[in-house]
Amino acid sequence: MFVLLRHLQRVRREAALPKRSGARSLAIRHVDAGSCNACEHELTATAAPQYDLQRFGLDIVASPRHADVLLVTGPVTSRMASPLRVAYDAMPEPRLVAALGDCALGCGVLGASTEIVGSLDAVLPVDIRIPGCPPTPQAIAAAILAATPPRRL
Amino acid sequence: MSLGVDPHQGVERLSVPVSGWREACQSALADGERFCGAFAGGSGSGRRWRALFARGASTRILSTAPEGDELPSVVDFLPAAEWDEREAHDLHGLRFRGHEPLRALIAHPRDASSWTIPVEGEGVYEIAVGPIHAGVIESGHFRFHVVGERILLLDLRLFYKHRGLERAAEGQELAEGLVYAQRSCGACAVTNSVSYALACEAVLGLATSRELRRARTLLLELERLYNHLNDIAAICAGVGFAPGNMAFAALKERAMRLNLSLAGHRFLFGSVEVGVSRLDLPSAAVDQARGELRELRHDTARAWREIQFAPSVQGRLDDVGVLGHDDAARLCAVGPVARASGLRQDTREDSPALWYGSSFAAALPPVADGDVAARLEVRALELVEIFSMLEELFATPVRPDEASSAGPSTSIGVARVESPRGETVCVVEAEMYRVRRLHLRTGSYANWPSLVLATAGNLLPDFPLINKSFELCYACVDR
Repeated sequence: MFVLLRHLQRVRREAALPKRSGARSLAIRHVDAGSCNACEHELTATAAPQYDLQRFGLDIVASPRHADVLLVTGPVTSRMASPLRVAYDAMPEPRLVAALGDCALGCGVLGASTEIVGSLDAVLPVDIRIPGCPPTPQAIAAAILAATPPRRL
Repeated sequence: MSLGVDPHQGVERLSVPVSGWREACQSALADGERFCGAFAGGSGSGRRWRALFARGASTRILSTAPEGDELPSVVDFLPAAEWDEREAHDLHGLRFRGHEPLRALIAHPRDASSWTIPVEGEGVYEIAVGPIHAGVIESGHFRFHVVGERILLLDLRLFYKHRGLERAAEGQELAEGLVYAQRSCGACAVTNSVSYALACEAVLGLATSRELRRARTLLLELERLYNHLNDIAAICAGVGFAPGNMAFAALKERAMRLNLSLAGHRFLFGSVEVGVSRLDLPSAAVDQARGELRELRHDTARAWREIQFAPSVQGRLDDVGVLGHDDAARLCAVGPVARASGLRQDTREDSPALWYGSSFAAALPPVADGDVAARLEVRALELVEIFSMLEELFATPVRPDEASSAGPSTSIGVARVESPRGETVCVVEAEMYRVRRLHLRTGSYANWPSLVLATAGNLLPDFPLINKSFELCYACVDR
């Protein structure tokens, strides 16, 4: 285990992200509304040692009840529209909605029209747009960091 | 280019009267053939119910015409066909005599009794989880029937992510249809694309050249590489071993960056096309890839050794989530899951349309007792194999190449390709060079029923670990 820890220490945080923003933390709740799983892989990768988003105070949390951001992937399928609204309604205000990936943004959507409600815009008010198929961990990190409210002086 | 592989070789189509359907399936199994999917094909009065059986590299397609909407069920002697029949009922309105009760699979009726198995008794209660999970996980619903902490039974309700991709592909030109197969799953994108491309090439009567086979195999193994690294990271996370999780997450990230540098996409999207390979890697690129892979191989071996000697990890793996050999065979499990249960099933052994050749042998763990430990170990063994194969595959520059015409076109093309999760079967029915029907049965689809069986009798807190040791996709199951 010490070998692993030593090795991890050497993995450089290569992402071109700010050293340390003076911003406050954000709690993120992710909902997969019908993605192909690539966006999930990249979102998970933001926690990998190369990016390590937690050092910016960004955390994926288990419940919408204590989340600031609802991060949604996938074209919203008809079966996920209602669970998605339930998650949104469970969030405290103020809250932000982020559309992660081209499917959630309504471009590049594939599927039968009867199975898909439409882009995330059609279901919830979208504040943050992160394009890409899928967006790279770096793009995800940069977009969320930009949305982090600055620390009050 | 010479050395083409006949696209129709090894595919036999057999029409069976509906009255003889059960006997035909029984005799295929009795001949030692392996079931690898059933699906509704054709349309209107030409509607057919088809079942696929495989032995080695050869595939047999049995077809029958339903009587009205009715067919005899085969689930009593072939439980692996359960999901296929339930799906055909929900999507195509077929009814199966003898499949009682025919529970909803893709349809989501409100009444829970229509899709769950009733579990009763003193102290039995249900825990409903999902469709939204606590972490960054795909959407799907689990219903655990539990006594104390012990799981009696798990009911699954997936298909929350059903996008109707197969239906949406209908009517598309064959080359254009590929994207529907590919985007059905990000983590199996290459396998799905290659299986679709091979099925289309069978339809078109095209034979793959040696260079085309090499390019595709290379992409398939790069996909397997990052998936296996990801899966080992996930199992470490499942036992709460953060250093292992982070080490393998970092290794996976390096594999993804290699993908980006080689094919221009971290998930290798867009790197496979019907009838052609545009992958062009000059000697500088393959040399660089070999160098990076050697470093990755070294670091992977070192991280794996650490996991092998971490008692807090090893103490959690044995005898958890056991899928016995006979159950794996009965449910026609595929991929690392099957091999961890001692079933010698790896479609790479029988893939004449790919590069592997006769020297390839499935990796079986020394103690293949079907638990989480075996499923973890089989992936580590396969990583060694993947690195060796990639070393060979990158030995010379990769050139673009095309498939060549080798025979007449046909109306149905079938391809079976080993994904990181097991055999993926793609069937393309074509009409005038357009997709009439597309059917994609991925390794995950084949293995979900095995996960249900392996879960029964285990402790509820072990479920995330068992689930991660299977690491099945939801996206390509839901489609």
